[in-house]
Amino acid sequence: MTSTTAHTHTLDIINLNIALPRGQRLLRNVSLQLEPGEVRALVGESGAGKSMIGKAVLGILPHKIKMTEGEILLEGAHLNAMTPATRRRTVAKMSALIPQDPLTALNPVRKIGPQITDPLIRIHGWSHQRALARARELLDRVHIRAPDRVMHSYPHELSGGMRQRILIAAAFAPSPRLIVADEPTTALDVTVQKQILRLIRELQRETGTAVLFVTHDMGVVAKISQKVTVLFAGRVIEDAATHTVFENPAHPYTQALIAATPTPNVSARPFQPVPSALIAELHRDTVAADALFAQRGRR
Amino acid sequence: MLLKTVFVRLLTTAITLFGVAVVVFILVRVAPGNPIAMMLPPGATDQDIATLNAVYGFDKSLAEQFIIWLGGVIQGDFGTSITLRQPVAELVLGRLPATLELSTLALLLAVALGGFVAVIGARKRGTGTEVGLDLTSGAVLSVPDFLWGLIFVLVFGVLWPVLSISGRVDPRIDIDFTTNFYIFEGLLRGRLDVVGSTLSHMLMPAMSLALPLAAMIAQLLKQNLKEALTQDYTTLARVRGFSETAVILREALRNAALPTLALVGVQFTFLIGGTVIVERLFAFEGLGNMAIDAVINRDLPLIQGIVLLFAALFTVINLLVDLSYTFLNPRLRHG
Ligand SMILES: Nc1ncnc2c1ncn2[C@@H]1O[C@H](COP(=O)(O)OP(=O)(O)OP(=O)(O)O)[C@@H](O)[C@H]1O
Ligand SMILES: [Mg+2]
Repeated sequence: MTSTTAHTHTLDIINLNIALPRGQRLLRNVSLQLEPGEVRALVGESGAGKSMIGKAVLGILPHKIKMTEGEILLEGAHLNAMTPATRRRTVAKMSALIPQDPLTALNPVRKIGPQITDPLIRIHGWSHQRALARARELLDRVHIRAPDRVMHSYPHELSGGMRQRILIAAAFAPSPRLIVADEPTTALDVTVQKQILRLIRELQRETGTAVLFVTHDMGVVAKISQKVTVLFAGRVIEDAATHTVFENPAHPYTQALIAATPTPNVSARPFQPVPSALIAELHRDTVAADALFAQRGRR
Repeated sequence: MLLKTVFVRLLTTAITLFGVAVVVFILVRVAPGNPIAMMLPPGATDQDIATLNAVYGFDKSLAEQFIIWLGGVIQGDFGTSITLRQPVAELVLGRLPATLELSTLALLLAVALGGFVAVIGARKRGTGTEVGLDLTSGAVLSVPDFLWGLIFVLVFGVLWPVLSISGRVDPRIDIDFTTNFYIFEGLLRGRLDVVGSTLSHMLMPAMSLALPLAAMIAQLLKQNLKEALTQDYTTLARVRGFSETAVILREALRNAALPTLALVGVQFTFLIGGTVIVERLFAFEGLGNMAIDAVINRDLPLIQGIVLLFAALFTVINLLVDLSYTFLNPRLRHG
């Protein structure tokens, strides 16, 4: 249908609109691409719709929230055109999620081992031995000592940092083409955050997996990503290479976001919150755009 | 640690049972109706009554009677039934298997039926199917077990007589078992005729007892399943490609079973209480049926024995529920 480019993007979101049942829009004409092996940061304030984009891709939108318009292509395959079961399997085979809160993302009554190997065996069709060997290999890679003992333990026996490393191992285990990481460090201790971030970056480089990295921390954006999408009230207001965004931000909101980020190496610059006048102006734009959209729909 | 828990548990059980023994002993003696008077024909003289009173020890003081009885109980002698003239322990233990098999079957039916409906309800959450199942289980719950019994007798015993409505087993079958566990021993011995006949007799009373509990499990387990299905680990399972049914059965069920189990334990003891009337209704030769006879005949030793056995049964069930709770919850397993 709309394959305008010659090569295949790992992820291609075209004009995505998502709304609540009463028609309130949560995402407005969002388009973004991920190339193979690329890390794209998705930034914006709380409630901007960052997680909603990830959920739309992975097919886990909340019950009443629906895609009203747009296309999502994973490795060139149109997800919307598929039956729910096919879509579920396709997404599972090609992508994975590193969740925000490692304390609630592991099943408290099941052992760690099966929680990693189950999908490999039952969804990816691997043999038991292969899945087990892969789990061991990945746990070792994320610096878990005694992987065999850990695989026999329950989540409550492990620390938050360890659980997040296990979830990272589980995400990378089936060698996905795309990983959605939704604020994977926000729920962790500051000391652990850096290790986790480094781990994701290392593994991403080694495997060449594309990562959609949701965060609201511009410091993290600078460290991990090659591309940035800035979101405000469900709209993309800036989409550029990370270095361009930091050196020469096009949108005043992006400028404000960068200014609002306390950076240790530029200690001279005072911390400035995003100006309220700017936020008010952006909201006015959004409301106006929505009114226009509603009009267009009525005709 | 575990040993200490078990010890405390046993001690409290002993104290509870002693308390039950005292209360029952006093209650059956202050309740109206003289057992001796019921054994004698009308017009018996005071002299005859006094003689019989002395024979059964009712002429002694309440405290004395209790001490004599308790002394016997400690040695395993629960006295002799006044009406049946057999040792109470023998009578009661002879009937226990029937009631145990009946209530176990009822429990299994309730868990299977309630669990199935709960899983379907959770799978179809937010749809008309869920509402329909909710309304149905609400209606089922509002009818008590003995009314279900009457309904079953009417439908499957009278209007469309396909099931046996009285007794525990076909009396024509020759049963030379060592225990009274007809189903259990029948399976071990490969006597499928006994098992089949017992099951067909047990089906209606067991269903009567099971239906209200099944409805309760359906409602509570579904609620707990829906709660578990909003948790992050179930979302992650969906992302990993598992179908909604697989997510429910593999991820949510065990988590939802934990809070449900506590209720099932309590309700199971109510279910056993329900056997008293339901067994009567179906002339099922169990402990409950015997209890009603014992009360009608003012058979004091027998009443005491049955009540004590029921009390012991309840404490054992509570213990089993606690144990299975620990087994299902890894957080409690490694204290
Ligand atoms: N289940 C839901 N029902 C209704 N509205 C929702 C639901 N979940 C999220 N929203 C709304 O959708 C919008 C986008 O939410 P989203 O979770 O994507 O924000 P976010 O950018 O990830 O924010 P945060 O940084 O806080 O995670 C918000 O306005 C939120 O209120
Ligand atoms: Mg979010």
